[in-house]
Formats: sequence, C-alpha cells, structure tokens
Amino acid sequence: MHIETLDRGAFSSALVKLSSGERFVSESGAMFRCSSNIEIDVTTKGSGKSGGLLGGLKRMLAGENFFFSTYTCQGEDGEVGLAPTLQGEVKVIECDGSRKIICTGGSYIGSTTGLNIDTKFQGLKGFLTGESISFVEVSGQGQLLVSAFGRIVEIDVTSALTIDTGHVVAFEDSLQYSAGKAASGWVQSFLSGEGIVLKFTGEGKVYVQSHNPSEFGSTIGPMLPERS
Amino acid sequence: MKYSIQCQPSYSVLEAELSPGEQLVAEAGAMAWMSSNIKTTTSTRGGILSGLKRSMLTGESFFQNTFEAEGGPGTIGLAPGSAGDICEYELKNGELFMEKGAYLASTPDVKCDAKFDGLKGLFNEGFFVLRVTGTGTLFFNSYGDIEEIDVDGSYTLDNGYAVAWEPTLQYQLTRSKKIRAFLFSDQLLMNFVGRGKVWVQSRSPRTLSNWVHPFRPQKPRESSN
Repeated sequence: MHIETLDRGAFSSALVKLSSGERFVSESGAMFRCSSNIEIDVTTKGSGKSGGLLGGLKRMLAGENFFFSTYTCQGEDGEVGLAPTLQGEVKVIECDGSRKIICTGGSYIGSTTGLNIDTKFQGLKGFLTGESISFVEVSGQGQLLVSAFGRIVEIDVTSALTIDTGHVVAFEDSLQYSAGKAASGWVQSFLSGEGIVLKFTGEGKVYVQSHNPSEFGSTIGPMLPERS
Repeated sequence: MKYSIQCQPSYSVLEAELSPGEQLVAEAGAMAWMSSNIKTTTSTRGGILSGLKRSMLTGESFFQNTFEAEGGPGTIGLAPGSAGDICEYELKNGELFMEKGAYLASTPDVKCDAKFDGLKGLFNEGFFVLRVTGTGTLFFNSYGDIEEIDVDGSYTLDNGYAVAWEPTLQYQLTRSKKIRAFLFSDQLLMNFVGRGKVWVQSRSPRTLSNWVHPFRPQKPRESSN
C-alpha cells in the first residue's frame, strides 16, 4: 500500500497503489480511475465500527456521503485514483493512533482499513460557526487522505490559534476549540467581514485551507438561474 | 512550428511560433494573443454541413479559425475556455477519439469530425464523440489535470473523466460487479479494453456544477390558489 499524491497545482489528486488482497476505503464517488482488477463495493460501513443506516445518516450530518466505497485489489498489483470536486490540494495525514483526527465538513476523502471512521456531534457550536453539526472523527493507525479548497497549510499549535470559519480542514483532538468573535467587540467583528471565528487552544496540529468553499459557492450561486 | 505549453496544468496556455506561410487551426474563441502579422481566416472547414455536425453533435465551434503568419514569423497564444490542462498528440495518418469539447487546435492537415457512438453514448454524455484523423500535431484540453495512462489489458475510468483514447482501445459502459455497488453507487464506469493510451482528467465540470447547485437562488414558491 502506497498513497501517491499527484501534486498538480489547482488540480491535485491521489493515486493509491494496492497489492493483492489490500483494501482502501473512500467516500462514495471520489474514485475517478482504477485498474480493472479492483473490486468496488459500496456500503454504509467503511472500516470502522459505526456502520449501518445510523452511521450513514450521521455522516450526512457531517457533510459527508451516506455511503463508503471499498476497493479490494485482486490478483496482481492495482491502483485507485481519487479526486475531490473542488480545485485544490490533497494531503496524506499519518495517524499513529496516539491522537484522533477530526475532519470538518466534507474534507475526508479516504483512509486505510486500520482507521475507524466515526462522527462526533458538535451541537450548537458547529451550527453557529457555519460548520456542519457533526464532524468526522478518525481514530486508529493508518493513513488518512483529506482534500481542501486551495492550499493546505499545516500549523503546529502550541498555545492558541484563531482560524476563520470555513478554513479548517482537520485538527488533532488534543486541541479544544470554541466559537468567538474576530475583533474585540461584536460590531467591529461583524464589520470586519470575519464574523465568528474558531479559537483553538491546547497543543496539536491543525490543517488549514487557503480558501473557503462556501464563500466561493455564494459568489457564483447568485449568478446562476434560480432553481425550482 | 515551435510551440510550448505553459503554466501547466492549472492555467495551461499554448504558445506557438509560426514561420512565414505556416498555418495553425484552432476552435473559435481560443486565441488569446497574437502578433499583428498573423492573418485570421474564419471558416467552417469542410462546408456548412461539417460545421453543423461539429457544433451540434460534439459541442465544438461551428466556425474554426485558421491562423497564418504573413511576411515574417509570428507568435500566437491559444487558451481553452476553462482552467485546466493541454496535451499534444502527433498523428501520422492516424486516428484519435476525444470527448466532446476537448479539441483546442491542430496543424491544418488534421480533421475533426463527429462519430456516432451508438447507444452506449447515451450514458456517456451524448451520442457522439469527436474523431480526429490525419497527419500533424493535435492539441486537446480539459478541465482539471490530464494524466496519460498506458493500457495493456483493461482499465476503468469514471464516466465523464475520459478526455481522449486511441482507436486500439474499445470501451464499454459498466457498473461494479457487486450487486450492492450496482444498486447504491451512482457511478457509471467506462471500461477500456485493448492496448493503447487513454487520457484522464482529474476534475469533472459536471461534478463541480452539481456542487454549486445548492448555492443557486431559490425560486419563490407560487401560491396554489
């Protein structure tokens, strides 16, 4: 098993090389190419404990797909190519099992079978910050593949860091976050165009994307004809 | 003709140097800049029928432009409508199939025609594909990055991600063999069989427009009475 990220500027993708019998899991629909000895199965259960109907529904609340695709390599070596929808980078996060990784809305693409994919309810905090109501929680040992809109910047938080909503790709669960205002007062905060921001505290890694997908959507959306 | 493809793959642009009398054909609207001694001739290249066939069946332009350097060498820059990659392909009395809209430019002895793709075309975003024949250099483009795959045996692509393929490859539309995947997966797959090259794009404009869809304004609901 080897995940090769094809770093192609705005249009990066990942090529997962599999040997006979090896498996890889991705969100349904992320595959755009594969060798024909790869068997594709679609289930609600990826590689974790949380499968079934409920697991699928909970994932939808986290901005992910209801279904997982599982790729099994049969016979000789094979490959699966995975790409996100938007322009931007893909990144492999190595999980050693010591810390869980929390992926925010839609950034999860795929993972090796040693990782558990679960959801973590964020409640009002997630709703208020414009993020999804729950996040994807990844635990265990293995490799995790995430995508971002634009570039991914990895930041080591040592005490505290403020990130605008919509720019967080993933973070280690050793970090706590709270919703807060960007400027000192609510009025300035609103006028600054930043509104609510996420304040991370603690120690751990956070992965930040350079662009905000929903801002892009709200730039283009109003120029399109009305939907019925 | 000397040429270079710059800024690959995000914002690829083709820059060609034409010697006096040398010609380059491009789809309408592709020219971004050119020296002032380059003469532009707009024609359907093969008559109205050929132009109609090209524009109605394959989504290419009705007219094509022929650029010719006059009196001295000239430079021309060609860019496709969307951000993405450009590939070159040498034809020697050869043939290449492309998805609709993939044609960017070629030397004048390369012909671009529509080919009926049979019923399988119904699911492959239209009944027709582009068939390019002749001798010369061809430039094609797509949204996203383009990767070249050497197929020996068979290879599977998601529907809508194949940019071009050599005629030595046949393709079939398939779904996953597993029954669950057949029922729940929304993916229709293209399985290429044979020996040859296929070019795959890493992003789909259709998937992107599906993503943007929820951001469109909502039509106000009309009252029922």
